[in-house]
Amino acid sequence: MAETICRTLRDGGLEGEHAPALAIKDSVASSFGLDVFSHVLTQLSNYILAGKSQSRGLVVVAFRRSPSFYVNLLKERGIDVNHKWIRILDCYTDPLGWKELLNVKELSQEASTLSSICRDVRDLDKLYSSIIELGKGLIGQEKGRFSVAIDLVSKMLRHAPISSVAILLSNLRSHDQVSSIFWLLHSDLHEVRVSAVLEYLSSMVASIEPIIATTIGKKGDLENLSWLEQNFRKGKFHVRFKRRNGRVRVMCEELHAELSGINFTSVSSEDGIINQRLIPKVQFNLQLSEKEQTERAKVVLPFEHQGNGKPIQIYDGRRSISDNKNEETLVSTGILQTDEDTGKGEIIYFRDSDDEMPDSDEDPDDDLDI
Amino acid sequence: MATIKPRLSSFSRNLSVVPSPQTLGLKCGPNGTTFVSSGIPDLDKILGGGFPLGSLVMVMEDAEAPHHMLLLRNFMSQGLVHNQPLLYASPSKDPRSFLGTLPSPTASKDDKSRHSDSEQDKGLRIAWQYKKYMGELHQNSYSNKDDKQVFCNDFDLRKPLERHYFSAQRVDCVGIQDSTNLVVLRDHCATFLAQFSRTEGSSSCAGRIAIQSLCAPQCEHSKMEWDMLSFIKSLKGKLRSSNAVAVITFPASLLSLSSSKRWQHMADTLLSVGAIPDEDKEMAKLLSGYQDMVGLLNVHKVARLNTQVPVILEATTFSIKLLKRRFLALECLNQAPVDGSSGSSYGTSGSCSGSSKTLDF
Amino acid sequence: MNDNQSLNLLDRALGLDQQSRPWLLSGRVVLVEDCVESTASFVLHHLIKRSLCLNSSNVIVFVAFANPFSHYDRVLRKLGCNLVTQRDNNRFFFFDMLMLQCPDGDEGKSEVGLVLLYEKIRKTISVLPEDKKSHVTVMIDNISLMEVAANGASDYVLDFLHYCHALTSEFGCSLVTLNHEDIYSNTETPTFILQMEYLADILIKAEPLATGLAADVHGQLTVLNKATSHALGSSRNKVYNFHFKVKENSVEYFYPGSRG
Repeated sequence: MAETICRTLRDGGLEGEHAPALAIKDSVASSFGLDVFSHVLTQLSNYILAGKSQSRGLVVVAFRRSPSFYVNLLKERGIDVNHKWIRILDCYTDPLGWKELLNVKELSQEASTLSSICRDVRDLDKLYSSIIELGKGLIGQEKGRFSVAIDLVSKMLRHAPISSVAILLSNLRSHDQVSSIFWLLHSDLHEVRVSAVLEYLSSMVASIEPIIATTIGKKGDLENLSWLEQNFRKGKFHVRFKRRNGRVRVMCEELHAELSGINFTSVSSEDGIINQRLIPKVQFNLQLSEKEQTERAKVVLPFEHQGNGKPIQIYDGRRSISDNKNEETLVSTGILQTDEDTGKGEIIYFRDSDDEMPDSDEDPDDDLDI
Repeated sequence: MATIKPRLSSFSRNLSVVPSPQTLGLKCGPNGTTFVSSGIPDLDKILGGGFPLGSLVMVMEDAEAPHHMLLLRNFMSQGLVHNQPLLYASPSKDPRSFLGTLPSPTASKDDKSRHSDSEQDKGLRIAWQYKKYMGELHQNSYSNKDDKQVFCNDFDLRKPLERHYFSAQRVDCVGIQDSTNLVVLRDHCATFLAQFSRTEGSSSCAGRIAIQSLCAPQCEHSKMEWDMLSFIKSLKGKLRSSNAVAVITFPASLLSLSSSKRWQHMADTLLSVGAIPDEDKEMAKLLSGYQDMVGLLNVHKVARLNTQVPVILEATTFSIKLLKRRFLALECLNQAPVDGSSGSSYGTSGSCSGSSKTLDF
Repeated sequence: MNDNQSLNLLDRALGLDQQSRPWLLSGRVVLVEDCVESTASFVLHHLIKRSLCLNSSNVIVFVAFANPFSHYDRVLRKLGCNLVTQRDNNRFFFFDMLMLQCPDGDEGKSEVGLVLLYEKIRKTISVLPEDKKSHVTVMIDNISLMEVAANGASDYVLDFLHYCHALTSEFGCSLVTLNHEDIYSNTETPTFILQMEYLADILIKAEPLATGLAADVHGQLTVLNKATSHALGSSRNKVYNFHFKVKENSVEYFYPGSRG
């Protein structure tokens, strides 16, 4: 599932469409955000180097960790770091210009060929143009696109209001050379509205939650200690995809913190509970008991059997001329057509395939570009 | 460390006492600290000797009862009796008038005076009245004779301190109601503490600062959270290098929770006082000596200068009692035994029950 | 102090038993949290001692807002470490910030004050000989008093902490800070302490026992250690919890129910 996210970022956006944007959210109780960010960064870098991605380069806006950290991270994972495909906008070393003020000479670092330093993170317009400039520098003269990764929007929000940050992110998303964008946010540092704004601006939201929900502020005793231990090593990874067809796909995995990075595994238990939470509490009974399920299976769908003895035909994509003449579609009113009404017309319904379940959720409009 | 241990009274602990007469009112403490008395014998014992010089004592007031004043008055009187200059600040328009309410020490030739029978009391009273007309010389000699080797006096709350103790040179009074950012108080403190700056080896003179009801709502500065904090921080910084002790009382319930915690962390010694309900039959049944109880005292923190070891007390909640309505005493809270005998004072009891199970203080 | 001195539970929780050269806390950020009922200054004292006694290249830059030099000197002497000698040998730099107070009314002055403090720390580290540069521990006692000194300009204090964090990646030094958690947990939005917790690689929290204070056990420590991949043989993200009793010459750490 984490793979799905990375693939979506890899595939980028279609012409005229906003770039897909991933928002990673975590909290102090389950602070794996930076690890997940590193994971996504690594995966995307792999795709870029292998030439499999829409984007040809990556611009990392580093607030929380130094450029050399990212260089080392990628090297450790076997990725060849060079200025042809990656640039780092360094908002970590001197974000407020203190070093400049104090006339501190920067020590030259290996990362300096790749990184460009930003000394005033309060000026988001300048930050935006720096990102674009770095990206264009990567692409060069040809047509191409680049991805953007912002390691900590929470740090950006310390120095600029949410409205400015929202403008920056939405401008990046709508820039025609930006292929995809992802960022990290520590949700408990901000008001609810800020989180809501950032979710609004994203097309995928990955929330990292504690594996065991605990209340904060309790005194440690053995039980709480084991909870603490579990939450410190594992977490829940919820992703909400906003799909092009207008639906939301919700997925859940478990993540484990290992020395080599983060591992994702499928959820061990309690799937049902998650689904239960998704269904809003309404007055209607949306669950079916076993008896009801068997009854439902017995119901004959109105258009499959007209009661005229004809066998069920399965649509194979080709229509014969003779069938065309017979085909008429009527909007279903839910009333089973009986022989009495045959004078009016009939509904001839062919299923797409034999294994298609009635009432399937698979939407043929899945890939529709809305 | 000197190990001479003259037993001054049945209430003293095994702490070394510097025998020199110049260091009246000072006592050596552990880790190179020097104690001054709080003015309440029981409190000195609870705290392990008294208030160490260089420390900041903070008392959280109870909005319903003025018990912090009892602590403040005894503290101030004790210093004056020991010739220790005093800086006093309060929100009052005329802080100096408060000095008239300070208690006077009792005759300490009989150090069980608080338990003496009424006849002896009467006798004393007559003698006191007579003394009034005897002139300063006699008063001086009388008080000198009594104070000479008493680290902590018993103060009679009914008897006001003699006026000669608070002459202008020894007492500086500052009103803090109108001062917007406590600048005036800060300056007074700085000048005052400069007299007691600590140089290696000298501990001849000690000073006391008593600040009443800092952050009281009628004061201008009470709205300025950070000004008050920076004042306390700077006072503490200066105290560390002075031979002085400061006691600050403050209405903690009027501060935000977060601010209150900051104040509590700043204190070296942290106490709080509490009110008790009046005519409470339930409480009277549960606690012995309820009739004499005036209020409660909680010890939250005890000063740890020059050491990392915390002071863990056997009991942290005490009842404040006025014995014979004149003498302050602090007692462990004891649940009343069936026969209703009275509780024991801290200094003489073996072990105290920490707190009663049913009552929540 | 000899290197053979046995390491206690706190040392193990910090991973000091893994490797003593170089100073294992290099590049790490440690946050020590405590409350009114259980102060954790003893953790700082312990780290000072370990740092100066384990390796002769280790240097400490100590930024003190809480107590003067004489206090730490006396305390560490009882623990077997002579701070005066270390100071004279340029291994213990003490910045006395007790009287630092940025003038109020102008937040800009608070920022300047903190910038200058940052410069002082940075300069102290950068002029050290090469072999000592990566062995520096910057210690701040404590952050809540730094906020008071900055007149409540907590944002600037966070900026300052960020720049100190940048020092850890620039020089490989470590950063140890003490803060009183109960000041912030009582507010609706404890963002300040959360910001610090996010920055930390190791979180050491001192709390009283659920049963209150006792003469035998002064409290409990919980250590959350996000071990990095550089640590040999250790696995990721370990949690430790044990009790402590603070004495003059040492601190006893033990698991509940056992002593020693």
